[in-house]
Amino acid sequence: MHLLRLALKSLGNRRFSAILTVLAIALSVTLLLAVEKVRTEARASFANTVSGTDLIVGARSGSVQLLLYSVFRIGSATNNIRWDSFEHFAEHPRVAWAIPVSLGDSHRGFPVMGTNHSYFEHFRYGRSQALQLSQGQAFDDLYDAVLGADIARELNYRLGDEIVLAHGTGAVSFVDHADKPFRVSGILERTGTPVDRTVHISLEGMEALHVDWQQGMPARGSARIDAEQARELDLTPKAITAMLLGLNNRISTFAVQREINQYRGEPLLAILPGVALQELWSLLGVAEKALFIVSVFVVLTGLVGMLTAILSSLNERRREMAILRSVGAKPRHIFGLLLLEAASLALSGILLGLGLMYLGLWIGQPLILAHYGLFIQITPPGLYEWQLLGAILCASILMGSVPAWRAYRQSLVDGLSIRT
Amino acid sequence: MTQPVIQLHDMTYAWPGQPTLLDIHEFTLQAGEKVFLKGPSGSGKTTLLGLLGGVYLPASGHIRLLGQDLARLSSVRRDRFRADHTGYIFQMFNLLPYLSLVDNVILPCRFSRIRRQRALARHPSLEQAACELLAHLGLADPALLRRPVTELSIGQQQRVASARALIGSPELVIADEPTSALDADSREAFLKLLFAECQAAGSSLLFVSHDASLERLFDRGLSLQQLNRAASAQEVI
Repeated sequence: MHLLRLALKSLGNRRFSAILTVLAIALSVTLLLAVEKVRTEARASFANTVSGTDLIVGARSGSVQLLLYSVFRIGSATNNIRWDSFEHFAEHPRVAWAIPVSLGDSHRGFPVMGTNHSYFEHFRYGRSQALQLSQGQAFDDLYDAVLGADIARELNYRLGDEIVLAHGTGAVSFVDHADKPFRVSGILERTGTPVDRTVHISLEGMEALHVDWQQGMPARGSARIDAEQARELDLTPKAITAMLLGLNNRISTFAVQREINQYRGEPLLAILPGVALQELWSLLGVAEKALFIVSVFVVLTGLVGMLTAILSSLNERRREMAILRSVGAKPRHIFGLLLLEAASLALSGILLGLGLMYLGLWIGQPLILAHYGLFIQITPPGLYEWQLLGAILCASILMGSVPAWRAYRQSLVDGLSIRT
Repeated sequence: MTQPVIQLHDMTYAWPGQPTLLDIHEFTLQAGEKVFLKGPSGSGKTTLLGLLGGVYLPASGHIRLLGQDLARLSSVRRDRFRADHTGYIFQMFNLLPYLSLVDNVILPCRFSRIRRQRALARHPSLEQAACELLAHLGLADPALLRRPVTELSIGQQQRVASARALIGSPELVIADEPTSALDADSREAFLKLLFAECQAAGSSLLFVSHDASLERLFDRGLSLQQLNRAASAQEVI
């Protein structure tokens, strides 16, 4: 106990280099923890986003791409699927339910998704949890919109507020649908998935927005159709982006998948969400490993910095050691003193790093969610994190034994004589 | 008063691969004695102090401290023996810069149980033991006690070092040129304070210096060169 006090006071006497050392360790620890946190949370978040969906169907492209745009709103579809294809499979005898997904518009950077009531009824996330409305109701009128929890919170929307949707998915859009504003009819409970950042409208509403559009541009002059006129028109959509299917019996998953992939109406792709996720992980696995190795080396660099700082201080501290020896410190006290010094530096670095990591998470959480649709949960460090931190502490004590051993040898040679 | 504090008998020492540096036939320091040992630098003075501290062991002969043959103790026990029974004052820079004045004085009691118990037998706390010693040595001002030790004058630092050597009343105080950084007037004043406190603590004093003018103040004066047969042998060559 007394040695620890001496070690801390001695460090305090060299506080400038001690603070720099602690900072270097802290930053490296932050990096390692953040990389691991994002890695595990990304997996958990991706895995939580969709549940209970047996097949995802879209235009023929890559399975990972289809998964990313249909569920995570990352990237965009290369092509649409025709409405009659949706109807064909929605009414398939082996299909229990089908959710249409129509993407492409946005509201202040948040994606807009056209769908129908079966979305609220059948969509599941996490551990088979259904969507819940915290206020209001699902869309009833053509121009009703249901907001995800984050949008309502961030943009401070209440039931009945009018919102204008924009064409395209960018945060800044030059073309908006100001002629057909939507009314907030419901706000969903928080899910921790991209649903929280999605504006949900009906497929018909989606169709109405674009009913007077020609070749990707809004109509001009007399060709315009206003919001009320649109109500009179047939608003059955011509195409959607993707559909989520739930089957009556999971055993038939592969049979239905094959049938969709061989559909003669148009080229379609059906994927199993779990399989596509696995594919995504195996793609990311190499990058994850590389990141992990890099951050481990950064931690080692931090610890080597500590080693350098302590070793270079030893020579100018021979006097300190000799004084301690003369008042009765044994060589093993000197050894312990140096070891405690290394351990205190590392422990402070680890704790500061942990603090920085949580600060970073707290700041970065909404940004990551906004940009990547990833919800990083802020949870206390788990067993894995403690193991990592324990390993860092052990490594630092191991490294600290190098200067400790040198000081031990030095104090045996120097004895009580003070050398400068 | 029965055991001599230091007893050297036919003791020799040589650094590895070098000729014999010290060869002392007989040297005794009785309890309560204040002995002046004169030796110019390079005369093996520092090595002798290391031998008396049990940091090195003699090549032959005996060193007995309080009747205990140091060579018969393990290095750990020698360290403990030194901590328990010997206080040291060095030439200068005796103090740890990161500890307060009082903490510097208390330091030996942290490493030696015997000295802690002795200090506590006469004082309610280690801090009070330290403060009383410091007060006797002319460092009573509370404002001074709060100053960082690096801001003290050298004379003040040496008095703090003396208090540290004396706390817990060790049987032996070894002073290695403690006055060489002081001017002539403060040397005598410092020595008088040191003598008084050694007397009060019942400690014997071995004072090593090259400054012969101080010799008259001690009970007895010796010259290391006369004591050391190896030194005269070298002169002959």
